[in-house]
Amino acid sequence: MGARKSRVIVMIELHQVSKVFHNEETGQHVQALRDVSLQIEENEFVCLLGPSGCGKSTLLNLVAGFDRPSGGRVLFDREPVRTPGPDRGVVFQEPTLFPWLTCEQNVAFGLRNLNIEPQRRRGLVRRFLTLVGLDSFARARPHQLSGGMKQRVALARVLALNPRALLMDEPFGALDAQTRDRLQDELLRIWETHRKTVLFVTHNVEEAVYLADRVAVLAPAPDSIIADLPISIPRPRDRFSPEIREATMALMAVLANLPCCVLPSQSEEVGQTVRLQEGG
Amino acid sequence: MSTSPGKADFSPPPAGAAPVLRAARQRPSLSGALIAVASVAIPLAIWWGVAVLVTHMRGVPFPTPLDTYHRLVALLQGKLLVDFTIYRHLGDSLRRFTIGFSLAVGLGIVSGLLFGWSRLLERLSMPTVTVLQLIPGLAWVPVAILLFGIGPRTTIFMIAVTAFVPIVINTTAGVKSVDEMYLRAARMMGADERTLFLRVLLPGSLPHLLSGLRVGFASGWRVLVAGEMVVGTGTGLGYSIMQSRWTLDYCGAFVCIAIICAIGLIVERFILLPLERRTVERWGLARAG
Ligand SMILES: Nc1ncnc2c1ncn2[C@@H]1O[C@H](COP(=O)(O)OP(=O)(O)O)[C@@H](O)[C@H]1O
Ligand SMILES: [Mg+2]
Repeated sequence: MGARKSRVIVMIELHQVSKVFHNEETGQHVQALRDVSLQIEENEFVCLLGPSGCGKSTLLNLVAGFDRPSGGRVLFDREPVRTPGPDRGVVFQEPTLFPWLTCEQNVAFGLRNLNIEPQRRRGLVRRFLTLVGLDSFARARPHQLSGGMKQRVALARVLALNPRALLMDEPFGALDAQTRDRLQDELLRIWETHRKTVLFVTHNVEEAVYLADRVAVLAPAPDSIIADLPISIPRPRDRFSPEIREATMALMAVLANLPCCVLPSQSEEVGQTVRLQEGG
Repeated sequence: MSTSPGKADFSPPPAGAAPVLRAARQRPSLSGALIAVASVAIPLAIWWGVAVLVTHMRGVPFPTPLDTYHRLVALLQGKLLVDFTIYRHLGDSLRRFTIGFSLAVGLGIVSGLLFGWSRLLERLSMPTVTVLQLIPGLAWVPVAILLFGIGPRTTIFMIAVTAFVPIVINTTAGVKSVDEMYLRAARMMGADERTLFLRVLLPGSLPHLLSGLRVGFASGWRVLVAGEMVVGTGTGLGYSIMQSRWTLDYCGAFVCIAIICAIGLIVERFILLPLERRTVERWGLARAG
């Protein structure tokens, strides 16, 4: 790893980022992030770990461009993030495949937006469905697939766009343990062949240790990143190895000082839905 | 990403997943067929009973289903009804309806997409739409006559404005029901505004939109008949029904009513329902309403 980083490029950079959500009905506001700084290098696999409600999704949404920071700067490839775009492929916790499209049409959706001509598009669709092991389900509709299969398609549809970074928000959080382990292995295998910068949000310590080059622990505002540990266990890793266990214990010790889940600061009720289109 | 084909060796997806999973098709069963026959036979029997009773007790010739059938055959063979053939009446009614309804569908869907998309437009327009909803179709008669005079354009206007309201309301609700995560996903994959409208918001609002079309069709169809009755269109099924008062051709009126019912049923069964099957149900979405 060290040799490869002769020329380090910072791909994602958060500089003193804050985010406050306003609830227009109650007039209350929630400080989701405060003065968070984080740097992720090109091709680095970083897990962002923290208890529920500490602002992990908020941070990821800022990098994705779904939201604007209230303060500080969010840079992607040294440019301020303004809008979402196919250079940052997002995999959500829910697969969010379009139910009205077949699997292959879902994968083709972004390729069409990039005006890739049909011939090449078909090739790419086939290739990435094969990559996630679902080429025989090309014509199936999302509702016919299991949760794990849907997440594979969701991964294929962003990989097909050849993004510079993958932003994954608890993508395996809703899956059963066995499927989750499988998909973790597949993600690592894909990452080994198609190197990418990955920001992977999770609240699962073992998952973070197994996947990441580096684990950043986010604490709820007014705290920010309270620990940033490199995981230098060589790959391929063994989930049950003592090194993994050791790193897991160390991180659990850090997390033990945090509440297990976080209530929104300064208000009991939080307006959940802010219509996206009004922001942009 | 490398351009070489993915060399990752992937194991097949979890066992037990068949390549294409189709919902089991319902077979027509004997009891199903009986129910279908009964659902037609029972109302016919009631009609017949009423006709016989009324004819005996009040001494007026209330047409039975059989009388109506004979008259229908005669009309289909070219006998005139209120100066024109039944084909002319039917054709004129259908043409008026198609024009009016198409206007309502086009305008309703476009405005619904816009109102659902922009909170500002929605807030500006919803009071008007709500008021429109409260106006019964026939109340448009004076407005329509002032706008278009006496004639078919008046009827078309009444159909359009009546069918427009449920379509625009349901499309707006449909667009607002589209999960924000779909919009995020689409934007993340580089969708521009046009793509968002056509490939996300439109299909995403289809369950609601289809029920809007249903309600819009029904109210438009009703107002076609009423519109022709009131506005002297000279031709049309509704016009003929009204005129049969003067000619005492009640059988002819009943034929027109039967045709109106039949067309409504056909559109619902052979256009709207299959449309829903081919889209909403196949996508695994729930029907709206
Ligand atoms: N759109 C929003 N409007 C208001 N409050 C929000 C919104 N999104 C998140 N929050 C609040 O910000 C805090 C952080 O949320 P989130 O980033 O989703 O946490 P995590 O992903 O770590 O579970 C929570 O208190 C949450 O209630
Ligand atoms: Mg979250």
